[in-house]
Amino acid sequence: MAKLKYSFLFLLYVLIKCESTNVDTISSDIRLKNVDRTVDISSQLVKIALKVTLENTGRSPVKNFLVAVEKSAKENLAFVGTKDYNNKDLRLVETSVKGYDYVKLYRVELKEPVNGGGTGIFTVDYVYTKALIPYPNAISQQEDQLVKYTGNIYVYSPYYIASQKSTVVLNTKTIEAFTKLKPFTQQDSNIVYGPYTNVGPFSEKELNVHFKNNSPFLTVTHVERLIEVSHWGNIAVEEVIEIEHTGAKLKGPFSRYDYQQDHHSGPASVRSYKTLLPASASDVYYRDANGNISTSNMKVKKDSVELDLRPRYPLFGGWRTHYTLGYNVPSYEYLYHSGNEYLLKMRVVDHIFDDMQVDELVTKIILPEGSINIKTNLPYPASMLPISQHYTYLDTKGRPVISFTKRNLVENHIQDFQLRYTFPRLLMLQEPLLVVGFLYALFLCVIIYVRLDFSIHKPEHQHKD
Amino acid sequence: MTAETQSRGRIPHLSSDKQLTFIKLAVLSMAAILSFATRLFSVLRFESVIHEFDPYFNYRTTRFLTEEGFYKFHNWFDDRAWYPLGRIIGGTIYPGLMVTSATLYNIMQFLNITIDIRNVCVFLAPFFSSLTTIVTYLLTKELKNEGAGLVAASMIAIVPGYISRSVAGSYDNEGIAIFCMLLTYYFWIKAVNTGTIMWATMTALAYFYMVSSWGGYVFLINLIPLHVLALMVLGRFSARVYVAYSTLFCIGTILSMQISFVGFQPVQSSEHMLALGTFGLCQLYAFTQYLRARLSPANFELLFKALLTTLLATLGTTVVALTITGKISPWTGRFYSLLDPSYAKNHIPIIASVSEHQPTSWSSFYFDLQVLVFLFPAGLYFCFTKLTDANIFIILYGVLSIYFAGVMVRLMLVLAPVMCIVSGVAASSLLSLHVKDIEPKVEKHEKKKKHENNLVFRSEVGALFVCVLGCLLISYVFHCTWVTSEAYSSPSIVLSARAHDGARIIFDDFREAYTWLKMNTPQDSKVMSWWDYGYQITAMANRTVIVDNNTWNNTHISRVGQAMASTEDKAYQIMSELDVDYVLVIFGGLVGYSSDDINKFLWMVRIGGSTERGAHIREADYYTSAGEFRVDADGSATLLNCLMYKMSYYKFGLVYTEGGRPPGFDRVRGAEIGNKDFNLDVLEEAYTTEHWLVRIYKVKPLPNRGQ
Repeated sequence: MAKLKYSFLFLLYVLIKCESTNVDTISSDIRLKNVDRTVDISSQLVKIALKVTLENTGRSPVKNFLVAVEKSAKENLAFVGTKDYNNKDLRLVETSVKGYDYVKLYRVELKEPVNGGGTGIFTVDYVYTKALIPYPNAISQQEDQLVKYTGNIYVYSPYYIASQKSTVVLNTKTIEAFTKLKPFTQQDSNIVYGPYTNVGPFSEKELNVHFKNNSPFLTVTHVERLIEVSHWGNIAVEEVIEIEHTGAKLKGPFSRYDYQQDHHSGPASVRSYKTLLPASASDVYYRDANGNISTSNMKVKKDSVELDLRPRYPLFGGWRTHYTLGYNVPSYEYLYHSGNEYLLKMRVVDHIFDDMQVDELVTKIILPEGSINIKTNLPYPASMLPISQHYTYLDTKGRPVISFTKRNLVENHIQDFQLRYTFPRLLMLQEPLLVVGFLYALFLCVIIYVRLDFSIHKPEHQHKD
Repeated sequence: MTAETQSRGRIPHLSSDKQLTFIKLAVLSMAAILSFATRLFSVLRFESVIHEFDPYFNYRTTRFLTEEGFYKFHNWFDDRAWYPLGRIIGGTIYPGLMVTSATLYNIMQFLNITIDIRNVCVFLAPFFSSLTTIVTYLLTKELKNEGAGLVAASMIAIVPGYISRSVAGSYDNEGIAIFCMLLTYYFWIKAVNTGTIMWATMTALAYFYMVSSWGGYVFLINLIPLHVLALMVLGRFSARVYVAYSTLFCIGTILSMQISFVGFQPVQSSEHMLALGTFGLCQLYAFTQYLRARLSPANFELLFKALLTTLLATLGTTVVALTITGKISPWTGRFYSLLDPSYAKNHIPIIASVSEHQPTSWSSFYFDLQVLVFLFPAGLYFCFTKLTDANIFIILYGVLSIYFAGVMVRLMLVLAPVMCIVSGVAASSLLSLHVKDIEPKVEKHEKKKKHENNLVFRSEVGALFVCVLGCLLISYVFHCTWVTSEAYSSPSIVLSARAHDGARIIFDDFREAYTWLKMNTPQDSKVMSWWDYGYQITAMANRTVIVDNNTWNNTHISRVGQAMASTEDKAYQIMSELDVDYVLVIFGGLVGYSSDDINKFLWMVRIGGSTERGAHIREADYYTSAGEFRVDADGSATLLNCLMYKMSYYKFGLVYTEGGRPPGFDRVRGAEIGNKDFNLDVLEEAYTTEHWLVRIYKVKPLPNRGQ
């Protein structure tokens, strides 16, 4: 039954997906009056924020517009989001335009249409992963990490842009080389390109920046997030995390002496990082296949629990680590119910470290035994995996496990999913009754055994007594 | 028991039988729970983790068994160890331990109790200690009475000599073997007392379990025939013993041969010959008894003499012939060292290098057994006063195991149970003797006075004695708890120390290094280290090792010893011959961890020099002219330039370890190292842990030509 339901959901999902990939046209009415772009490459991610002033030169109101991603950056795009001037999220739908198949395009659905002759201000955020390439790709322990960014000097858009300006945020003054296209200025740790005027649609000109970037280059290659819901008041969360330092590889020896003597030694290595857990998290554990990892600190803050996690060894380029982090949260914060209907609202993925990038996420939700009518509502598309069964203490038919997986996630993906299900409350009695029944049977057996005499003949010494 | 009859007489309607059963059950279950609980110090203080070295191998094989199933386990050829030879695991281990935990694990999985296999392994030894407590009660009950059984059970629950090898996390064969051994003894006594085939078969089954779990079964299979022989000599041999032993030997031997590691040893090796000989003797003895009953004395004597001489002659020649042709294997070194404590030291350095194979010091007897040392002779006395078949057995067991425990520290484990049993008999007998005297009932007291007024202050003396014994037993409890908590509950994989301000510092360097190896080296790398760390590396780092704790191939270990003891370029040849990618050394000089590789180094030299290819390595070269082993500037040049020295002290000459000392001060040896400024040519430091306890070096590839 559950499987059927699931396949139905999947079909629905596919249908919606098919429908959304319909073909759009580039409206000639739209002109971008001004675009301010910030390219933040100071961490391991590339975060691009556009502030767009859109002008409707036509008569009819504009209900949507398109944002574009360069062909070269398509693979690295992890997240794209738009907001209007009220800072409200706008819905994005992937789309395509005839003749521009190589471009990745999204249609932004406006809440309030832009009337003819009017203007609207929007922000567009892009987050790219793995767009900064360490160069050289192997460094020794003492060296700084240099990375190369290859991007587009112009804002990539299907529309005509009247005026645009780009600020590249580096957070360092050590710049080996960068593309010089006038007008540009270099101030402190920023490079400002522009303003460039009257740039046509889909303009591209390569932007190269080669600079020092010692921020942690950690990639979570795989994370498995397990949420186990209990109706007895507890939700157990466990994350199995694999991390790799994907910056410049360590060349030559690792000298512990240098590393201990000089705290500036190994500038590109990662000694520790902070993980934020929900404020109500308790019973936190941090361990790996060989047991507890004793090097971590926990700070309870007002709105979160801050864990200072230190892997067993510092992470240099190319080094990997693997651990399990688990904690409990009270269920009243995440689980709502009316009668037999339940709603679980939790994060699809949680914070692992700042500016994290996750290659692959698998989230599994274990519901109590006997849950039916399970409906999952995800904040963004992810591929659902078949529902499986999980058996643990006092289970008879197994607990349903809902799981889904997604690739290439960043902090912007920390959003809540919703899961509705029906659980007959009478089933709560099942487990206590099982224990009671077992003990009853056990005592009954003992009582019967003690009262029965299984011997073939009575031992003689009893008569003597 | 007297108390039983008295109370029965007093309150007949309350069913004193049930009261007594209840008290017995309560004491026994408390002892069983206590024996489990007292072994949990390390879990509470550190975590649920496997301890030391061998348990890691057992843990790894158990994991393999649960994941791959029994047949794959049985046929397992392990290419992770003894590179390039490999090791046939299925045929070279006692599988009882792994099968036990895998069975428990599977049962629990079937009942949806989701305990992971590591926790099953960690808590297996305490669980079996609880069972041992119960078996001890049963065994002592057979020997003496229930009271003695309860005392013995309470004693064995906390005896340090047994706890030392059965704390939570010490996942080793001995953990279950002691249970199997006592179970076998219990069934054997039952079989001897009843003479039924059923109990004898049970003995054989228990013996089979024992054989499958520990090499120490040899002790058992020599002790039982010895018991039979003693009964023969004492003229107590009866049909009961005949039935018991014949059944046990036949079924037990056939069963024990099913363990592939044991194979045909029960009929070939000299360690098992006593059992075989006694079996033959039993048949002859029974046959002569039969003949004597049928023949006239004169005829019988003639026949007897003729038969005896021919038999002895044929037996002698067969044994000699078989020994010469090699059918009966010569006695193994470990067994020789049981009989002659100096044997191993003189002949096999690899056996002598293991600390648990050293002779026991007197203090460790007291440390491990405390009050039992004094109660033991008293118990023997009580056994002698009422000599039964069972008592003879326990006397033999006690005396033999005292001898063996004196030879090898490790065998303290075999001694501890018998100490508890005999002391239980002693304490119980003494107490019941004197508790009777301090009868508070006036009428009874008067009655007694009439009968035996030869002793004055009888009740006072009794009370005093009971008090003294009570104090001794209480001090035993405190001693045992203290020893357990202080000496036997450190996992040795995680070390802890106290800082100046009293805060606890944890040295987790071993796991740090092993995890590093596991995550950051290629899957097929070969790691060379001294054999002590082989099991841990394969289990925790999942990398191939050259030698490990199995120590079955002396020349291979010797080759590693030679590499460690040679200069860098010579070592490089050995390392490339063995395809070594990484070398791992343990170095305690920074934090003062004394069992590091430099302190073990002389054994590497000795073992390295013990084979033909290592003949150039002479122990004397590593001493100063005064015959001292020194790492400072006065040390011998050979030592200061060997690979082990360089790997341990690389860059250490720059480190300040203690205030007021020059840099490069080794805190274990208490000396400033002699060779400070050197570079490594063929190795590069790959990783060193936070407290420098483990240092890992990468073997550099050969340089390109023309450079």
